Amino acid sequence: MRPFSSVFKDESKLDINYVPPSLPHREPEINLLTLFFRFAIESPGKMTQRVLIVGSIGTGKTVLAQHFGQNITKEAQRRGVNLHCVHVNCRECKGSLFMILQRAILKFSPHFPRRGYSAQELLQAFMQVLDEQNAYLILVLDELDALVHSEGSDPLYNLTRVQEERSGHTQRLSLMGILRETSYLDALDPSTRSTLQRNVIRLEEYSTPQLRDILNDRVTLAFRENAVPTQTIDLASELAAMEGGDARYAIELLWRAGKYADTAESRDVLPEHVRKAAASVYPVVRRDMVSSLGLHEKLFLLGVARSFKQTGAAHMSMGEAENAYAIVCEEYGEKQRGHTQLWKYVRVLSASDIIKAELSSVGHRGKTTVISLPRIPASDLERELSKLLGT
Amino acid sequence: MSVEEVFSSRGRVKILKILVEIGELNISEIARRSGLNYATTNRHLQVLEESGLVKHKNFGRIRIFRFNEESRRARMIKELVNGWGVGK
Repeated sequence: MRPFSSVFKDESKLDINYVPPSLPHREPEINLLTLFFRFAIESPGKMTQRVLIVGSIGTGKTVLAQHFGQNITKEAQRRGVNLHCVHVNCRECKGSLFMILQRAILKFSPHFPRRGYSAQELLQAFMQVLDEQNAYLILVLDELDALVHSEGSDPLYNLTRVQEERSGHTQRLSLMGILRETSYLDALDPSTRSTLQRNVIRLEEYSTPQLRDILNDRVTLAFRENAVPTQTIDLASELAAMEGGDARYAIELLWRAGKYADTAESRDVLPEHVRKAAASVYPVVRRDMVSSLGLHEKLFLLGVARSFKQTGAAHMSMGEAENAYAIVCEEYGEKQRGHTQLWKYVRVLSASDIIKAELSSVGHRGKTTVISLPRIPASDLERELSKLLGT
Repeated sequence: MSVEEVFSSRGRVKILKILVEIGELNISEIARRSGLNYATTNRHLQVLEESGLVKHKNFGRIRIFRFNEESRRARMIKELVNGWGVGK
């Protein structure tokens, strides 16, 4: 038997958290960011900046911010400026300003007490820590809409105004917000909105040739030489372009195709493997999306998926979902969460478009939440979750 | 404060050791790590601060303690703890 060798050289280069050394087709945006933040290395402390990066899924918002952050901090270091760039995902912080600030402050003062004060106090303390370390910060708020959604205008108002209260002090805190559409900010009060929307960088969806360039870059980094023929890359980029120019989807497609090639012990990643991969990745259920859920959110979702698979129904009530969840909990030896907690999970899951939840319409007695699973086949969701939960 | 006074208390020595290891901490966390209660920790820290070995800074309501790097004695204690090693 021929010794089996994987098509991959370095899988980690396909990870969603990997920041590649160059970003094809995003040079104008990088230049624009550099322009916006030039003051930060040339005359630090004189002013601060607020920039929004807007674009749909997989247009490279996050990676653009991270790439830029790495470059500017490196450049600042070279010039002896103590500039930092801290990237915080607001959704992971459950949209809480407190958690966002806490993550940021721990980067500067790793043993800062974790509780016992309000978000407002923490913000003041944070500015004090920055003063003390003579540090400048670009705080990147990824998925900014989560923060706006859960806490309204106040956090952003406070973040943008904290400098003004400190007149005479050095200006230290710049903001970079990342979100899918500016309309998410409509909920903000007009003055906060106008301070934020002065500098907006809009990322257009990638076209097929652009996606091809991106994939080519990644293929060189992640796969063995010549393991991925051109047709494979062409097909993957076409599929991703149809999904709205989603580069993350394209990369995941490639990764899965590689996995299928390995399973089939094929030396090359063929278009057929991409087709198989496309059938198994739904743009909505991506590894990162489901894996970032909490344990009980996963268990609940697993219950829902199994129950849909069994009944074949289109909708289920909250009660049925809870029963299904109870069974799953028993299986995994976990203590069940209460109704209110589950209802919160439903809101989180429907906010991230995994399930759909509506109030029951006329015809039912009383009110209940009706859950449906419009975009993902239940069996695929079940498989994905079981894998993640380790059965 | 005389040297025997500083080192005569097991709690104080523990606190000094923790501050050497971690750098800066708030009272509750020092108390948790040393296994002492809050009031005792607070009292020890006060004594240590009066003797110039530790300092605190305020972040609003939050008080954070650390070694007083300007004090020669404090630096010597730090060296002593480090030289002694991590073990008991």
